[in-house]
Amino acid sequence: MPVITLPYRYLERLVGLDRETIVDRLPMFGSDIERREEDHVDVEFFANRPDLFSTEGAARALRGFLGLEEGPVRYGTTPSGIAFSIDPGLTGIRPYLGSAVIRGLALDEEAIVSLMGLQESLHWAVGRGRKKVAIGLHDLAHIMPPFQYLASPRDRSFVPLDFEEEMTMEAMLEAHPKGRAFAHLVRDAPRFPLIVDANDQVLSFPPIINGELTRVSTATTDVLLDCTGIDRRAVETATTILCAALAEAGGRIESVEIDGVVSPSLEPSFREVSVDECNRLLGLGLDAPAMAALLRRMRFGAEPVGAERIRVEVPCYRSDIMHDWDVFEDVAIAYGYGRFEAVPSRTATIAEERPESRLKRSVREALCGLGHLETMPFVLTSEAVLFSQMRREPDPRALRVLHPISEEQAVARTSLLPLLMELLEYNRFRELPQRLFAVGETITGFETGLGTAAVSCHGAADFSEAYGVADALCRELGLAYTAVESNDPAFIEGRRGALVVDGVTVGVFGEVHPEVLGAFGLDHPVAAVELDLSAQLQ
Amino acid sequence: MRERETEPGRSPGADGIPLGDASNGADTMERTDREAQALSLNERRLLAALAPLGQAGAAALGCALGATPDAVVQYASLLAQNGGLAAVERKVETSYALTDEGRRYAADGLPERQLLASFGDRASMTELKSHPLASIGIGWLRRKGWIAIRDGVVEKAGEAPAGEDERALAVDTLVDGPGLRELLKRGLAVERESVGYRIAIMPAGRALVEAGLDLREELGQLTHEMLLTGSWRDALLRQYRVDRLPRRLVPGKVHPYQRLLDEMRQILLDMGFIEMGGGLVQSGFWNFDALFQPQDHPAREMQDTFHLGGEADLPEGWERVRAMHEHGGETTSTGWGGTWQEAKARQQVLRTHATALSIQHLAAHPNPPVKAFAIGRVFRREAIDPTHLPEFEQLEGIVMDEGVTFSHLLGFLREFYRRLGFPQVRFRPGYFPYTEPSVEPEVFVEGLGWVELGGAGVFREEVTAPLGLEHPVLAWGLGASRLAMLRLGLKDLRQLYRSDIDWCRETPIRRGGGGR
Repeated sequence: MPVITLPYRYLERLVGLDRETIVDRLPMFGSDIERREEDHVDVEFFANRPDLFSTEGAARALRGFLGLEEGPVRYGTTPSGIAFSIDPGLTGIRPYLGSAVIRGLALDEEAIVSLMGLQESLHWAVGRGRKKVAIGLHDLAHIMPPFQYLASPRDRSFVPLDFEEEMTMEAMLEAHPKGRAFAHLVRDAPRFPLIVDANDQVLSFPPIINGELTRVSTATTDVLLDCTGIDRRAVETATTILCAALAEAGGRIESVEIDGVVSPSLEPSFREVSVDECNRLLGLGLDAPAMAALLRRMRFGAEPVGAERIRVEVPCYRSDIMHDWDVFEDVAIAYGYGRFEAVPSRTATIAEERPESRLKRSVREALCGLGHLETMPFVLTSEAVLFSQMRREPDPRALRVLHPISEEQAVARTSLLPLLMELLEYNRFRELPQRLFAVGETITGFETGLGTAAVSCHGAADFSEAYGVADALCRELGLAYTAVESNDPAFIEGRRGALVVDGVTVGVFGEVHPEVLGAFGLDHPVAAVELDLSAQLQ
Repeated sequence: MRERETEPGRSPGADGIPLGDASNGADTMERTDREAQALSLNERRLLAALAPLGQAGAAALGCALGATPDAVVQYASLLAQNGGLAAVERKVETSYALTDEGRRYAADGLPERQLLASFGDRASMTELKSHPLASIGIGWLRRKGWIAIRDGVVEKAGEAPAGEDERALAVDTLVDGPGLRELLKRGLAVERESVGYRIAIMPAGRALVEAGLDLREELGQLTHEMLLTGSWRDALLRQYRVDRLPRRLVPGKVHPYQRLLDEMRQILLDMGFIEMGGGLVQSGFWNFDALFQPQDHPAREMQDTFHLGGEADLPEGWERVRAMHEHGGETTSTGWGGTWQEAKARQQVLRTHATALSIQHLAAHPNPPVKAFAIGRVFRREAIDPTHLPEFEQLEGIVMDEGVTFSHLLGFLREFYRRLGFPQVRFRPGYFPYTEPSVEPEVFVEGLGWVELGGAGVFREEVTAPLGLEHPVLAWGLGASRLAMLRLGLKDLRQLYRSDIDWCRETPIRRGGGGR
């Protein structure tokens, strides 16, 4: 989740309360305080609330939550007379555009840093890493409308931000840090997105990099905003939230005509919600005026329509309101999570355990009784541990993850014995004897099974001990087995046996082969038992 | 190995072992009796042997008791530690012994003496050199002035009195002196340092002897035969001390983390919940789509979720989930918009949360009431470090019933955490894609303050409507490893899965305190 830096002085000025009061109430508004510094607090807001990703947006909401203001903020726009056009060739590449002009800004360094922070958080939460939407802000003083959003040849050149020389857009994908980071978003497109002004000067190569020409600085007063993307709703959300934040920062929002369509639209939307449905969801007994008052604290417009319904005005920046219940959650937050009665329902049900839980408990009882300590090894392991170190042939049904983080966690365990051998290796300097066991899920193909294994490592561990444990375990689990000679290469020839139940080999026991001991760095014999319990669950 | 000598907080006096404080005269007899019983037979025999001597060397006492000197020192040390019944003094002693060569000469005489005896008054040099000891002896004969040599003829120089060296060689026990120094120089004797012990009886020990010691043979083991014949009645069974800890035994045990999981399982069973199960491999459909997680959500990407090959089947009615994602189906929801891709729903993953089991349980049990839980392994694509693991246990609980509310959910959370040992719970707003309202419960932990422990909420209508569920579903989840860190005091989560066996051995089965 994005971490937003809120500078105290700016926050206090925008909210109108001291920092202690604000920080104290922040958690109950719905945020995690990451850390407090001398001059700012870093706060984590939830991914569904991009309208809070700026000091301006957070302050707007807090003024309501803390009882200083209520009801919605409405942002008006006036036409700028500036036109934008979209090249139809962008269809299938990056077809959507949102834009606005913001005038009368007085940006200090802090405000610029804050604006960059908002941009980055929106890129992450709404843009999904600039894929769905990417944002550009340009100093309007250096460029001439009308503007064009083009599908440009890939070899067009301009000077990208932070560089001094022209280079082609293709070259930027290799040479510019942002080019390398986002090249995957455009690399396969036949032409590249490009924004130019009336004099064919380049503003931006979305979603990669702006031109150096339109860099925003403390001298900037008028800004052109562009939001481009592949998802119309995400583009609108980003445009709206940026305009609303810049308006809170003191800017005047002017609209732009994009192929005749006015952008941005800062108009609220309306919903009529049921008081009764809200009470039934939350377990409260609010009447319509009380519920409407709570909603106004959350900066909605809210007026009762009769006793049972409320007309809710949803501000343009609240992109998270998808459903009536999203409105009801804000009722709960304004009401205060700490004020709920919090008593469980009287829902009467009769408890029931899973058969595998009972079976696992039986295995634990038997093996603990035999003196073994339980362990809980990882499910993900390596081919080496599962097979080659065990002298076993790789099992073609072993499930491999597609993009492992390391070879050590690349394959799901098909059985538990190799993981116990690995645990003996981790504990090879601990006192002997070591008697360990594990019981848990195994995976074969895509199917989850259940298995258990037990090992005994000490100077006198031998075949008799392994057989004794296998026999006791099977008896206690009620498995009528026959033991036959095994050919499992993990064990010493002539000191190994297979457990056969209902004609199917379900287990193996014996003295672990010295080469296996060597592969796991062990220098004492190991008596081991391995048992597949999957069939017991059917 | 751990020191097992003393156990803190335990007073030896309390177990009837004497500490030597005899200030109360009235108790002296009884005390002496108990002291004597606490001694082993060997210790009592040593005291008895020592009493007439007052003090003696360990070797001599060993001969008397038929024990090695080392054993005698051991018994004496126990007597010394045990109320100062005896004292042990360590002495380093120097002794001398002849070498093999020295022993030969002690029997046959020094080479020069033998050489001198081998001829009359004179002999030719050639003749003398044929003697086997000539090479050593001739030099010494000349040095001691016993012969004169002129023109190849050797002539005795008169009397050849025995020197200090010969006198030293003749005595049974080698004692320090000029003669011995000479023998040492010639390599005929060597010096040895040996450690000796002198043992003395102390007044407390003498008092025990005077009170009378039972010196009958002790038996270590009560035997089958003794019981059959009744001879145990006349036998003296060795008495043991209880101020020494026994050999440390470790029982076979359930893993400490499993006990914690079992405790949570028991709480939920006590509360009437039914246990859910399901495979570790799940389709994207059940793991994400059915939970209204958008298809472009970062958590679904390869960086966060372990994707597997293969294609899963979709359940009947999957189209309703598609409709919900694209436009909100038949609810007031707007949906996520965009195009929902069937192929993404068919992708198989290692389940990322136990909620994948909850939603399938609800699909199979759409009628109220439902109270169900699962505790199982889930997977996130994270590199291993002390606080992040690619797999861990998660608990998930759901309640579906007519008329259940968000307030009831908070009630279930409060009750669950109270039973888990956290009486102080508070609730903060939270966000999860599939619940609305959402809540993050926090518990108060002494020394840490409010600690976030899990997440909860009411399933969105976008989740319940496609399954045809008509009543609200309360749901909560909890990462059990985080709880393990709090409850087991772990700093490193890897300890749960790659356990140090000593940690398992030393973590007791029953945890004390904790307000529970």
